[in-house]
Amino acid sequence: MITYILQKNKEMKKITSFLVSGRIFALGSLIVFWILVLYNMETAKKSVPTFRKLAGLDAIPEMVGRAAEMNRPVHFTTGLGSLTETVAPQLVAGLAVLAYVSEISANYGVKIIYSVYQAQVMPIATELMREAYIKAGKPEEFHSEEQVRYLSGEQFAYASAVQGIAERERPAANIMVGPFYAESMLFAETFQRIGSIQLAGTARGYQIPFFAVICDYVLIAEEIYAAGAYLSEDPVQVGTIRGQDFGKIAALILMIIGVLLTMAGSNFIVSLLGM
Amino acid sequence: MSALWKKTVPVVIVFVTALLVMMDYFVVMPPVNLDGVSWTSNTVRDLQNWGIILTAFTLGFGAVNLFYLHGRHISRRVPNQWMYSLWLLIVIVIFTTVGLSTGPSSDQYSFLYNSSYFALSATVYSSLGFYMTSGLYRALRVRNTESFIFFIIGIVILARNAPALAVYYPSLDALGAWIQNVLTTAPQRGIMIGAALGALSLGIRTMTGRETGFLGRLTEEERAGGRGGE
Repeated sequence: MITYILQKNKEMKKITSFLVSGRIFALGSLIVFWILVLYNMETAKKSVPTFRKLAGLDAIPEMVGRAAEMNRPVHFTTGLGSLTETVAPQLVAGLAVLAYVSEISANYGVKIIYSVYQAQVMPIATELMREAYIKAGKPEEFHSEEQVRYLSGEQFAYASAVQGIAERERPAANIMVGPFYAESMLFAETFQRIGSIQLAGTARGYQIPFFAVICDYVLIAEEIYAAGAYLSEDPVQVGTIRGQDFGKIAALILMIIGVLLTMAGSNFIVSLLGM
Repeated sequence: MSALWKKTVPVVIVFVTALLVMMDYFVVMPPVNLDGVSWTSNTVRDLQNWGIILTAFTLGFGAVNLFYLHGRHISRRVPNQWMYSLWLLIVIVIFTTVGLSTGPSSDQYSFLYNSSYFALSATVYSSLGFYMTSGLYRALRVRNTESFIFFIIGIVILARNAPALAVYYPSLDALGAWIQNVLTTAPQRGIMIGAALGALSLGIRTMTGRETGFLGRLTEEERAGGRGGE
């Protein structure tokens, strides 16, 4: 333990530990979880873990195939994600799906339109889609200015623009993976009305019911984070999902013990979590 | 070489950045200055500022993309599109001119913003009510046992939120509150825990260079960091 005497706003403040109070249990849990995931990554090299089927992700080739048959584009968007906010993991998950959809679209000769909300995502998405077209051996078919479209950094201007694309260009398939807010319903209903087959995934709890009601396929919360691993078919990546499941079991055990101890009048778990 | 630039360098940048941000959240790393700010806090603040600067630059990309795409629509007279494209470009020019000449907090810019974007934004948001109604119709169609239960729960919550019905049947309030506080909250928490662990797992995969979706679909060699696969 080291004690620092600090002067902040003319008040003497003491920090008696390297660790920030109230976050010690979270740090410990993170370290344990990290070890669990790394261990499962290693064991996955020897025995590939089985993974339950995610209908939404399995349906992507069928969705793009439908677009090819109808000679219409595929629309993709990652919602209001930004790479510097807490929703960044959802955006990264969405980009992993975009890479996969771009590759399949390039193979099938289908135009994919990516609607961008945050300009900072544009260069990444452009590179990612270009790579997919190169991999498919059709780099000349990728037109970044037409396919990666910056719409607006304002929520409802972006929402209106996506609705405009839906009405004018009538995509045969609409894929939405990322953080969505009030615009989720606007998108899902508009694309449903024009007859698009839809896959939607978000980890934002309030929007999941809207997608579940309207879209043909839904990825619920953690499923979008698993999408990259699922689509890569890399055993080591799939191993991390098994590690994640152990984390869920630990959380469940902690909850049960917490409920029992609280019923018995003990505050131990609450104090532990607040460390 | 390709794998080095396409995978190794970005992954190292992601790892170092993510580690610094995590350290700043959990640990007070010495040396700490007299204001109580550790070196990691300063570094993270600098990184965030870099992010803001990069975002400002990429906004330029966005503007170029808008002008290119909509300029083409106008020059090709794309049916049902070019007039909207023209209007968009005119509005961008007006907003940019007024913003640059009078400042974004000036009366003129505020007037423009409030009388155009603000009103339109509120209109689009309000239209959500109609979309929700049609979505509700779809959701409440009874096709099997699950949808029947969903229908009953939906009706109870709707009735609870209708002031007149809640006055005549006060028990609706207690029932609705129980549904929302117990039936809805429990699975929501399950979803939240699963999502949090999923985000952590994704973070670990990304930091260790296993999740490469954001780098594009890499070849086997690139995925293995140029070692020709594992």
